[in-house]
Amino acid sequence: MIGQGSIVRAENLRKIYRRGAEDVVAVDNVSFEVAPGEFLAIVGPSGAGKSTLLQLIGVMDNPTSGKMSIAGSEVSGLSDAARTRLRRETIGFVFQHFGLLPTLTVAENIGLPLLLSRERSRDRVEFLLERVGLAHRRNHRPAELSGGEMQRVAIARALVNQPRFLLADEPTGNLDSVNSAAILRLFQELRQDGLTIIAVTHNEEFARSADRRLTLRDGKVVS
Amino acid sequence: MRTWLTIILANLFRQRLRNLVTAFGVAIAIGMSFSILSFQKGYENGVRAELDRLGAHLLVVPKGCPYDAASIALHGASWPCYLKSVYLETVRKTPFVACAAPVLMTALYEEKSGEQQVYCGVEKNILQLRRGWRIDGVFPEGTGELLVGSELAKSNGWRLGQKVALPGLKNETGRISGILHPTQGADDFFIYVPIRDAQRYFRHPGELTHILVQLTDPERVKNVVEELRGCDAGLEMTIVPLSHLFQTIQHLIENTRLLLSCVALAALLTAACGVSNTILMAVSERTREIGVLRALGASPDAIFGLIWAETTVLCLVGGLSGLILALGSASLVETWLRQQLPYAPPERLIAPDVVTLLSCLGVCLLLATFAALIPAWRASRLSPAEAIREGAYTA
Repeated sequence: MIGQGSIVRAENLRKIYRRGAEDVVAVDNVSFEVAPGEFLAIVGPSGAGKSTLLQLIGVMDNPTSGKMSIAGSEVSGLSDAARTRLRRETIGFVFQHFGLLPTLTVAENIGLPLLLSRERSRDRVEFLLERVGLAHRRNHRPAELSGGEMQRVAIARALVNQPRFLLADEPTGNLDSVNSAAILRLFQELRQDGLTIIAVTHNEEFARSADRRLTLRDGKVVS
Repeated sequence: MRTWLTIILANLFRQRLRNLVTAFGVAIAIGMSFSILSFQKGYENGVRAELDRLGAHLLVVPKGCPYDAASIALHGASWPCYLKSVYLETVRKTPFVACAAPVLMTALYEEKSGEQQVYCGVEKNILQLRRGWRIDGVFPEGTGELLVGSELAKSNGWRLGQKVALPGLKNETGRISGILHPTQGADDFFIYVPIRDAQRYFRHPGELTHILVQLTDPERVKNVVEELRGCDAGLEMTIVPLSHLFQTIQHLIENTRLLLSCVALAALLTAACGVSNTILMAVSERTREIGVLRALGASPDAIFGLIWAETTVLCLVGGLSGLILALGSASLVETWLRQQLPYAPPERLIAPDVVTLLSCLGVCLLLATFAALIPAWRASRLSPAEAIREGAYTA
């Protein structure tokens, strides 16, 4: 059964892709919920449908069938504009490939969502620069940073609009063990601050630190 | 915090050489369009001013090509054939003729300076046609008197009342009775003498090169032309209505301009395709970035606007460079055009103005919008999920 106080709630989600003449079932009848402040790890082998499920939760894609609610509101039938606004105001994204704009400085990358919201908050950017330990790198460009630093910038950027929850797709996937550990510590701190986190990961240590794990195989929840 | 403009500029700097080449294409197209428009305006103004200076509605010349005759009358040169002076009376008696001013024009080559000197033998009634003339001194009416153009007087250091040797004429002298104020036309280099003197100097007694005719009513051009063509002397004269001449020259230039405009349009379309291709490549290379922007909350309109703005900045940089290039090379192009054109007025042939400049910038914006349509639409239609996934494959 699915509770009412959840921040994310999925019911019988299905996503089918058309690849040539063939239909590929990426997510198959998945139901789950995430409570506020919970840290959920989505695990499973490659091709299990983890990233597709994350994109459905992040309203970047439409499910073929099923229902999806975010903060109590049904999102399946929303217009593109409403989905864009929801992503901008409610969700923070962290990508495996960091997704930083190479022409912008660290501070400018962190402030990018504010620019999209037509807001200006230098204090918020400065606070997050301190929070992720990159205040001394504020005027550097992504090419001048290590992988770990780039991911910390991406996390700061995801937090700048004060989202209701954080979606992370393999946040340690491109990092060495030292940087992976640092990013894990940052996620644990965020978890302790009460932020809801949903992360797709192959990193066992990362998954272990989550409150709960959702294991997918061939698009289905197996545990 | 950076504004969108600095983000746009930073994006354009990512592929400098590619964007530079693309902007150069726009510069050529816009520069060419600007030059063609400025030429059309300059040429039209020049021809109109030249005809206005002539002050006549009709030009009566010996039988032959009317356009050659008009060109000689306007610019000054030796005439290959002559009219009999008696025709002047026929012209004067024709209804609606207000004034018929006879001219005997000859150009002499002066060995000392190596330059050509144009003489015009005229009667005082030419002042009725040249109402804009301002003369220091008096119009030459007595034998041996001269009216000289301002530039000629200046270059020779001639003064009013001075007795001078007539350039190109051996053993002939004259006294300067008047100096013409600058007219910005060919008159500034001419010497005007009484027509009897001219007929004696050049051994053409009782002959003229042309007659300048002013009508009482310019609307009666057709009647006067028909009357003159039908008279006994009609077979010996060609009557050239100057308004028709102006229209014919304009028509010839219009045809040339049409051809050049097609070339400019082709250049603009080619430039637009080049810009579109460059921006399409940029969109393709930045698919994942666009996906990330969409994921972070950029609307399709914002992505469309970003790509359109990048295209516009690229086109404006190219367009402004083209305009600067066209303005900078205007005198060079003008020199070249004067060598190519059979008839060119003394005014500036390329006359750039603010309206033409703004029109070209408008064309530049249209070109940018046209070029941006496909790439901007494509970028704005990218689904964030697909863009991030696709970008992962192309990155």
